[in-house]
Amino acid sequence: MDPSLILQAIVSGVLASGLYALVSVGLALAIGVIGIVNFAHGEFFMIGAFLTYTLFVVFGIDPVLAVLFVAPALFLLGAVLYRSTIQHVLSAPELNQMLLTFGIGIVLQNLALLIWGGDPVSIAGIEYRSVGYRFAGISVGLVSLVSFAVSLALVIGLNLALTRTRLGRAMRAVAQNRTGAALVGLEVNRVYLVAFALSALLAGIGGVMIAVIQSPTPTIGLAFTLKAFSITVLAGLGNIRGILAASLVVALSESLVATLVPNGGTLSNAVFFAIIFLALVWRSRRTV
Amino acid sequence: MNTQPSILHVENLGKRFGGLAAVDELSFGVKEHEIFAIIGPNGAGKTTTLNLLSGLLTPTTGTITLKGQRIDRLPSFERTHLGLGRAFQVVQPFPEMTVRENVQVGALFGTPGIDRAEAERRADEAIERTGLAAFAERDAEDLTLLQEKRLEIARALATSPEVLLLDEVMAGLRPGEARQAVQLVRDVRDTGVTIVFIEHVMPVVRDLADRVLVMDHGRFLAEGSYAEVTANPSVIEAYLGREDDDEEAPQ
Amino acid sequence: MKLLRDLLPIAAFALFLWFLPDLLRAFAGRASVSYLSLVTNGVGLAILALSWDILARTGQLSLAHAAFYGTGAYVTAIMARHLDLPLWIGIPAGGLVAVILALGVGAVTLRLRGIYFAIATLAFTEVLKSVFRHLPTPFAGGAAGINVEPLFRPVFDAATMERWEIAFFRNEGYFLLYALLLIITILLSLMTRRSRLRQAFTAIRTNEEVAAIMGVHPARMKLLAFALSSFAVGMLGAVHAHRVGSVVPEGSFSVETTVLALVTPIFGGLYTTLGPIVGAGMLAGIEETLKRNLADGYLIGYGVVLILSILFLPKGLVGTTRAWWSRRQSKSMDTAEEGSA
Repeated sequence: MDPSLILQAIVSGVLASGLYALVSVGLALAIGVIGIVNFAHGEFFMIGAFLTYTLFVVFGIDPVLAVLFVAPALFLLGAVLYRSTIQHVLSAPELNQMLLTFGIGIVLQNLALLIWGGDPVSIAGIEYRSVGYRFAGISVGLVSLVSFAVSLALVIGLNLALTRTRLGRAMRAVAQNRTGAALVGLEVNRVYLVAFALSALLAGIGGVMIAVIQSPTPTIGLAFTLKAFSITVLAGLGNIRGILAASLVVALSESLVATLVPNGGTLSNAVFFAIIFLALVWRSRRTV
Repeated sequence: MNTQPSILHVENLGKRFGGLAAVDELSFGVKEHEIFAIIGPNGAGKTTTLNLLSGLLTPTTGTITLKGQRIDRLPSFERTHLGLGRAFQVVQPFPEMTVRENVQVGALFGTPGIDRAEAERRADEAIERTGLAAFAERDAEDLTLLQEKRLEIARALATSPEVLLLDEVMAGLRPGEARQAVQLVRDVRDTGVTIVFIEHVMPVVRDLADRVLVMDHGRFLAEGSYAEVTANPSVIEAYLGREDDDEEAPQ
Repeated sequence: MKLLRDLLPIAAFALFLWFLPDLLRAFAGRASVSYLSLVTNGVGLAILALSWDILARTGQLSLAHAAFYGTGAYVTAIMARHLDLPLWIGIPAGGLVAVILALGVGAVTLRLRGIYFAIATLAFTEVLKSVFRHLPTPFAGGAAGINVEPLFRPVFDAATMERWEIAFFRNEGYFLLYALLLIITILLSLMTRRSRLRQAFTAIRTNEEVAAIMGVHPARMKLLAFALSSFAVGMLGAVHAHRVGSVVPEGSFSVETTVLALVTPIFGGLYTTLGPIVGAGMLAGIEETLKRNLADGYLIGYGVVLILSILFLPKGLVGTTRAWWSRRQSKSMDTAEEGSA
């Protein structure tokens, strides 16, 4: 086994982990602040990707610029969804919430299927897509590098925002003690709204990047929801550093399996799901 | 003085959560037919102890013995089958069922191999005993707080326990209701059930308890009659608070 | 006797289903082929819904329904291809293998609740899909799947029958088989409404710990629910495989099956036997229109139904209707009392 192959897999994995962390952090925000596990989170990611594609193909807007449209669009989408549906099930049993977000996910995914069809779309003809660097026998794409850097910056930025800004502190207060925060006068519902919309925005930005890196289909949402969920669970709630670490673990194992195992490309997804399954089962046996 | 052997015995019981010992080196015995109270300041580990007894938690150390048989490794439903019942503090009635049907669940499953007719009889008996007869056909979700507590005790009684664990039955009751609850507990004991209960309301403990166990920080602090333990200086100190009264200890 | 009271309407329903094809042919003529297909789909949806509901009664909201469906399909397909047995044996075999699988999954996920359970079951389905995709191609067909022989090859006289009649007879067999499975599933569902099981399941669903304190054996009950649920849907998958003529990993284990299975009873009314059936009846009709107009994205209709149900009809159609009805009853009783006081 060529050691440079392994090294390549590791590097690719590390770079991919940034995106995973970005998407997971958004989900962690929704879970931590609002207390709702958003089954539709991956669909925000997917919509971000497809909006980017459409903006490019129809209006000729470069993906880098597209972020300026996609980010607020997803923020708005998250806000609208929260106001119209999620707000009303906050006090309902957790399973109702789960089913509601599952339903939202189905609607969004199938809406995308209706609009864009089921085939992969790709943003072709952008120069920087093919720019890469080589050193020590490893090749690294410019796009992968940039998306890693941007994702990391956003994750760290979010962490700072949560600790340094008023809104951020409000979110943390609400996350820890809903009634207490309300008593102190925090408008809890508005905090929830912003948190949810923000989680959609973060996922959407991730989508912009994936549109440039890969050729997404409308069905990628669910897989990313599951990945984000697993990472969040692995990391433990409210633990940003944990999310970075867990994202690394997931991305690396995917990358290594895809490279080292024959037929690994199709298998890596299944291996990932097997890991989730085993991790959940093992985790459940350790409690109490 | 009751010199019978313990029907329920706890030896060196301990439960750790990570680095924190919620219960530590706890030993006590409950005698048959007595009303045994467990008291202590917030966070003393009383509910954790009850959860260890019922099987909702597994002890890290120590043993629990019921009628001479070790139960600390048994799942909850088996402990119920052996005669250990429990009424919870926050009552969760089973939805879409009447009060009677709720109690029947306890009767049907509390004793293995019981037939339908006998189960219905025991359920009716429990309903009678807890004063629920007038509400037996009502939807279980449609009850007042006191009625809910009666339901909870009736459900537990229907499992034909020999030892019944009660978790803060008085919480939320008005004085008149609390008096009725106290009488109910006495009536239950008079049918031959041993009672172990957690309580914060001291007058209730004084009226009901034959013996009292005081816990603090998960450990045994004192044991004896109500008069004895309330006169105990270390008990008084525990309740009045120390310098750094840490209210965030786990339950 | 109470049992008879329940069985009588089922017997009547079974008779109705038995004669339905003839009725359709008599009244709809040429169009009866598509009507028959529609009704068959509706029956299939009802089976999916009823079987999912059984598991939901213990509080286990599973996203693995497609896994058992697909297992049943593949079992019969593999048996048909490699064994020299009568084709129909694949159907109960599919059901049984699905049960074994379900017991395995159920046992391992006993301690998982809520969303963790849901995600674990979803992950399991994906893994299973991949396993079947990667089985040796001569055995299970790989990613392309394998063809499945049809169950019914009606002998017909081309001279005396019209084309649509031939198609009709071919489909009639499947419809009757579906109907049989439906009756079986209804009986299984009713079984869980018999007092002991119903109370145990409801107790576990409400609070598993409290149920255990009441003496209920949570593991046994949850596994029983898994077994009953998967048996029905496994057999459905098997019959469907013959009807459609092939099994493919993507299609047989598609999450679409799970979505149909859970939206229908939630819409119709969870924890009832009537609810999933009513839900299936209504949604199957809508599904036809949706599929025709929206093709790839037709599931969006189901997503919308799910959202609306959670928001406005949390008890489902049947549940809300019953609650409204009993409120009217007690109101009229109150007024009657006042009147006589």
